[in-house]
Formats: sequence, C-alpha cells, structure tokens
Amino acid sequence: MDAESIDFFELVKRVDTDMMGDFIQYDREKCNGCGLCSLVCSFSLWAVKQGKAKLAMHYQGLCLECGACEEVCEPGAIEFSYPKGGTGVIIEYG
Amino acid sequence: MEKWDVVVVGGGPGGSYAARTAADAGLKTVFFERGRKPGDKNSSGCGLGQRWWRDYPEIMEDLQDLPSVRKIEMVVIKLVDEHGRLRYTSGTTGSDLCANRWPHGMDGISIYRRDLDPYLANLATSAGAELRTSTLVNDVIMDNGQVKGVKTESGESIQADVVIAADGAMSTMAKKSGLRKRWGGGCTLVPQLDFSCNEERMDDIIGNAEWCWFGSLFATYQVNFRDGMHIGAGQWLRDDWSEKPLDMIKKLVSYPAFQSTLKVLEAKPREYQAHMLPWLEYPPKTYTGGMMLIGDAAGFPCPLEAEGIWHALTSGKIAAETAAWAISKGDASERALSEYERRWKASELGKEFEFGKEWSSIWSASAFDPAAMEKQLQLLLEFSMLHPFSIVFDWGDAHMDCLNQHLEHIMDLAPEFADFGKQYVAPLARGIWPKNVKRILLNVKPKIPGLRRLSDQNYFKVIAKLSKGLAPFLDPNIKQDAAVPRDVYERGVK
Repeated sequence: MDAESIDFFELVKRVDTDMMGDFIQYDREKCNGCGLCSLVCSFSLWAVKQGKAKLAMHYQGLCLECGACEEVCEPGAIEFSYPKGGTGVIIEYG
Repeated sequence: MEKWDVVVVGGGPGGSYAARTAADAGLKTVFFERGRKPGDKNSSGCGLGQRWWRDYPEIMEDLQDLPSVRKIEMVVIKLVDEHGRLRYTSGTTGSDLCANRWPHGMDGISIYRRDLDPYLANLATSAGAELRTSTLVNDVIMDNGQVKGVKTESGESIQADVVIAADGAMSTMAKKSGLRKRWGGGCTLVPQLDFSCNEERMDDIIGNAEWCWFGSLFATYQVNFRDGMHIGAGQWLRDDWSEKPLDMIKKLVSYPAFQSTLKVLEAKPREYQAHMLPWLEYPPKTYTGGMMLIGDAAGFPCPLEAEGIWHALTSGKIAAETAAWAISKGDASERALSEYERRWKASELGKEFEFGKEWSSIWSASAFDPAAMEKQLQLLLEFSMLHPFSIVFDWGDAHMDCLNQHLEHIMDLAPEFADFGKQYVAPLARGIWPKNVKRILLNVKPKIPGLRRLSDQNYFKVIAKLSKGLAPFLDPNIKQDAAVPRDVYERGVK
C-alpha cells in the first residue's frame, strides 16, 4: 500500500457542513506568527503569511475538530469551540 | 427557566455513567450530546482492560455481544528498527498465576465507540435520565463565582444544582468556568487511521490480541476490532513537536513491517481521525463551585498508558455520588464540592496517580524519545539474546562464546543507561511493597556472611542502618502491601 496514494480527505465523513457555524475564532492582533497551528493541523488549514497565521476560508468542510490549534497557541490568538450540534465530522470507527 | 438537579455536559462514557448514577440516586438528571447520537464524535484507541471485569462486570458481559467487539487476551509488542524492519516481538499474557488476580485473568475487549457509547447512554436513559442529542452546550451560567447551570448554543438557559462537565479534552465548561485555559504541554494529539480488514485473516493472524509498535521512529498502538483495526501515533504537544500528523501516519504505514501486516490482513484505509488526549502526571483542579470535571475534561487518563475510559466511568460515578450528597445537604459550593476531590483521591482512581510523575516521565523519556528508543532497542535486543531460547539459535560461534559476546555488548551499552536508570527507573523502586522488599532481603540473607546468623528482625535493623534507601521499607510501622508514601521515602533517602 502506497502511503502517498491514500486520500485522507476521502476518509472523513461529514454532515451538514454548511450549518456548522464559525467555531474557530482568530485574533490576528495576538498572533505571534510561530506557525505551530500549521504544524499540528492534520489538513494544513493554517498557513503563516507575512508573520501572521491565516485560517483556510472554508475550513468547516475540512477541519477534524480536534482543537490542537488552540492548544498550541501560546499567545491565545486561536479560540476553538465546537461546531453546531449534529453537524460536522461523523466518526464511525473511533 | 428549566431547572434540573444535575446537568451533565457530554454523552461519552463518563457523562453517560455519571447521568446513570445520578438518576439511580433519584436525581432529576439531563445529559447533553453534541453528536446526533452518542459516539458520533468520538475517536479513541478503545481497548477496555482487565479492571473493567473487576469494577463493571455486568457492563462487560453485555458488551461481549456488540458487533465490533474482539476479545483481547494479550498485547503483542513489536519493536521496529530505524528502517521499519521488525526486530523483536514479545507478548504480555503473564503466567497461569495471573488467573488468580481476577476471575477473568488478563481478558479485555476492543470495541468501537459507535457500539460502546450508545450502550452506556442507554443505561442512563433506562435509569430515568433525559438525553438531548445534536445539542451543543457552549457556556455556563455563573452567579457569584459559582456555576448555576449551562447555556446551549441556541441561547437556552438551563439551571442545575450541580453541573458535571464531561465534555472531553477541549472542555468548554472548564474554560468558561475559569478552571483552565489550556493544558500547557500536558496534552497529546493523536492522529488515528482506521482500516477495514479480512475478519478471518485477523482471527488467524492476530487472534485475541492488541498490537503495539515501538521503535526509534514511533510509538503507536494497533487496536484490533472484529473486522478492522486502527493505529494511533500520538505525541505531546510540546516544543519538540516536529512533524505534521499526516506525515507521521504516512511514515508508519510505509514501514516494511507494517506493510506486511496490511497486506496479509487485506487492510484498506477506512477512516481518518484526530483527537486530543490529556496525558498528565497529575490532574489539575477538578471542581469549582457548582461544577465537577470528569474523564478527559478533568485530565484523568492514566499517567502511564493514557487509557481513559475506565477513568471516565469511575470519575463520573464518584462525581454523581458527590452531587447526590451535596444536593441532600443543600450545598454545592466550591468548599462542599472539594469532597469530590477527596473521594477520587481516596479511590482506585487516585491510586493511579500515586506514581503519576514517575510513570509519565519514564514513558516520555523512552517510548516517545526517538534517540533514546534507538539505544534501548539495541540493549533490549542484546538482552533478548541471553534468553535460553535465543542463544540456542545463535550458532555463529560455540554457544558459550556467543553468550560472552552478547554479555560484552551489554556491558558496552550499559554506561549509556546509567543516567536513565538513576533518573527514571530508580524512583519507581519506591513502589515495591515493603513485604516484597523484605522477601527479597530474606532470600539473599543466607548468602551474606556475618549477617546470616542474625534473627530476621536484627538483620533488618542492620540493613536499615547500612542503607538509607532501604530504611523506609524496613520501618516496622509502615504498611506492608502499599507503596511507601512519597514524603516518607524522600525523608529516608535524604
């Protein structure tokens, strides 16, 4: 099995991604550009550009809802809450 | 405004068991789950160990019949070198003497959360608790610094005498009540890849076992279910985190040893998940006025191997019992709920953390330290060659010459482990029960000239004088079948 050929996006089931709401809040002022959010995100939804982190525009349909980005954010620029009840990632084999 | 005796936030194993215990105690109880059903949002290793038979035997009986279950009788440990080649395999069945420990010996099960969580939630609703699904609780009602209820995302306010927060590693309740902001290095991130497998092949090749892969490149569990398995490769979210989660998983999948496993099991990637898992020396504060934290939200996973579901049920039970006690007194203040901490510390759960510092330190300095693992693998492989079954197959030279060469290798490697032994292994010695220390000392007594003629009592007195390290174990007033308390031990050693 070629690890590079695994399509990890295809391996995540989601429902009602358009109703998830804005569950990651980001305060650009507080960001120190360390890039840890980008390093721990499974789907690289954070990128650092010109010294500041930036979250992918349509992150709702891609995020795994783990919350690691908030946990590693030393200056507290990222606040992760959960998407609206009944929406988002569905885990069948967890 | 709606008013309940107990509101439980979270419909995972801890939340459901807390709700069940509260409802059984006659409390008006509601519990909230953000998924469409319990288990919808949960990713974990999910192997349930022997202690479930001790503490939750009826649940274990019921779980055996659920579709995803594979019975587990042992863990197979596979050590892989820096090229991903299998170098060593061992297992953890214990001898037949282990059957005396509990009626079910070493047995456990693997079960997917989509089976486990709804079953446990059903116990709670059968006991009379109300379950509300697809509902996110995202705030607390605070009054004079005390939690008085919760708010749902739709703005609904729900009052409660006591709130039990079972909302996982990223607990919103802990944050909103001011108990905690972040874990600050005490939390791991676990990317997890699930595979579907040929069930018959799993039966033949894996049988009733979990697998664990260790090596200089990774430490990962392979939990085996009825017709599938998943691997998780976690690491602490600390400064030395150096790799993207997907790259970790891809690397692991690429190793020759793992590729063979995938091939023979006809494994196909089925689901990818990532979850946070607190892995602490000791949980931070677990209560505030009007609210108690349980399970992952409290930081209860085991400090050695981070299993957390037994801990969630057990803390949920203690929290709900404390809630019943507090409500009967009409006092759920912070001071009253300190009773929760007193109770869990005095329970089997508290016992887990008696050596929390020692267990989590040795684990992070070995299995999770690539450089240390590379060296440890070498040492372990040399040790394994001294075993009678191994030396039989080293026929490079005469067997006794081979044995001497392996002995030399061990002595070459030993100095590198002196510091490791002193720093991480030696502190664990405190945990050896005094009666066992005495038994060891009595075993060597006949071999020591000058001491062998003394009475046992006088022999222990002399040893205690000669060795500061052993003195605390030989104190006649110390409990014989429990670890020497940390302060007593440290006083003795100093």
